[in-house]
Amino acid sequence: MNAIGMWTLIKREMIRSFKIINQVIWPPVITTLLYVFVFGLALGSRIQHVQGVTYAAFLIPGLIMLQVIDSSYGECSSSVFQGRFMNSVQEMLVAPMSALEMVAGYILGSVARAVLIANIIMVLGLIFVHAWPQNWLLYFFVMTLVAVLFSALGIIFGLMAEKFDHLAVLTTFAITPLVFVGGVFTAQQFLPPVVRNLSLFNPMFYTIDAFRYSYTGQSYLSLGFSLGVIGALTVVALAIAMRMMAAGYKLRT
Amino acid sequence: MHQHPAPPSVQTIKEHHPIAGAPALEISNIVKRYGDFTAVDDISLRVEAGDFFGFLGPNGAGKTTTINAIVGLARLNAGSIKIFGYDNTSEWRAARAQIGLAPQEYNFDRYLSIRDVLIFQAGYFGLRPREIAARADALLEQFGLSSKAKVEYTRISGGMKRRLTLARALINNPRMLILDEPTAGVDVELRLELWDLLRELNRQGITIFLTTHYLEEAEALCRNIGIIEGGKLAALESTQSLLARRQETLLTIRVDRPVRALPGGLVARGARFDPGGTRISIEGVTANQLATALTELEAAGFGIEEVDFKRSTLQDVFLELTRR
Repeated sequence: MNAIGMWTLIKREMIRSFKIINQVIWPPVITTLLYVFVFGLALGSRIQHVQGVTYAAFLIPGLIMLQVIDSSYGECSSSVFQGRFMNSVQEMLVAPMSALEMVAGYILGSVARAVLIANIIMVLGLIFVHAWPQNWLLYFFVMTLVAVLFSALGIIFGLMAEKFDHLAVLTTFAITPLVFVGGVFTAQQFLPPVVRNLSLFNPMFYTIDAFRYSYTGQSYLSLGFSLGVIGALTVVALAIAMRMMAAGYKLRT
Repeated sequence: MHQHPAPPSVQTIKEHHPIAGAPALEISNIVKRYGDFTAVDDISLRVEAGDFFGFLGPNGAGKTTTINAIVGLARLNAGSIKIFGYDNTSEWRAARAQIGLAPQEYNFDRYLSIRDVLIFQAGYFGLRPREIAARADALLEQFGLSSKAKVEYTRISGGMKRRLTLARALINNPRMLILDEPTAGVDVELRLELWDLLRELNRQGITIFLTTHYLEEAEALCRNIGIIEGGKLAALESTQSLLARRQETLLTIRVDRPVRALPGGLVARGARFDPGGTRISIEGVTANQLATALTELEAAGFGIEEVDFKRSTLQDVFLELTRR
């Protein structure tokens, strides 16, 4: 096991994040603040309590999940693709690093960035709408699990993409729409029954529902079921990412 | 570049010692295909530990594909490669730990400073930053990059990038350096400095596997040479025997009066002249035959005014072997 190689990759991913801090750290924080002010505080003042908390407080966990998903996918997909595009990934490919060490390095670096962004938003939520997690263990567990899932998806798409444009396909046509209709802004009881049932086919719904439990102590579905769905998806995504990396898909000729 | 003592060597966390008596590189019947195209076709070669080996061939002959196969960037369709006795597929960790690669194309990490390029490359090889820092600083000093240690590679010149490529290849203290066109695009002065450095590294015991388009570079540096053409090995022998292959010379003699006819011995050796001219040329004459030719001309009454003895170069041999 080349643990130093893996740790080096994690550090490299963190350095990369801080080198492009104005692209990847501040925008999600500022965007979230705008959501909180516009939707949570301005419009939300006209809405009754949701799941026992103010609408603004209800929004915070959904917004955190939105940014965790976006950040972890974006970090891994762009880093892997850029490494292929610039050939800098060869620095690792010629070194004694296994596929497991590379996948773990990319994912843990990405999770670190997602957790940082999530915690900045969590602190802002605490300051501006007085919302904070009631269950810290669940807060970190779901956040990490979801970040791992979307980091693994990022690796898969980072390996498959032929140009930067391809990376945006998943974000534009799947992740963003599914997250927005997956319960970031609305509780299930506000939705028509048809839409409510369709949500069950939306994987983002499970991530947001489980994560919101760490704030409100309530969820639409059973917490165990949601965690099971997220866990299963994570295992599948990790297995595919590992298989592709081990095969050197679009990395080794 | 500056002359400095060798940078401190480092030990990997799990040192992979070479297998006793094993050659530095043993390539056995390797085949690499891309679809219907066979880039490398049943090549076998052996590079002994400590050798300075040149791997030559025209563009598209299969040089870089072979290098990629050695370092694990290309997967073989058939055959095997051993590095200091370690199979680069089944014992890939040990095999890769022996190698330092300087690729032709710059592939540095754009987010890292020059110094961190070295530190992080060492990290990927399993070396801790605090163990490698002194070696990284010594290499930066040796390659004249200390003043640029904190800038990103996009802000240094082409010559500096070429030096950084070599410094990075050395950071993990490799036993074999694989250099793909290491002096491409550098000025003459730096090229000569790099030659000296490579000779010194080889003297220190590092095996060097070099590809180059500068045939005088291979002739000046390499003890053994392999020539690849169309994916197949066209030659594999010592530089000296390769040069001796093509009876080497073009002898040109200028005499003191117009030539109308030549002595029989020279005619038999294929000597040529322009009737009425004063120049006589003979191809494929060895140094020993030169004296005989001059004696025959003097015996025929010619006065010798000038002798030009042009040795054939590696380029002549290369062109002959790779002529399609």
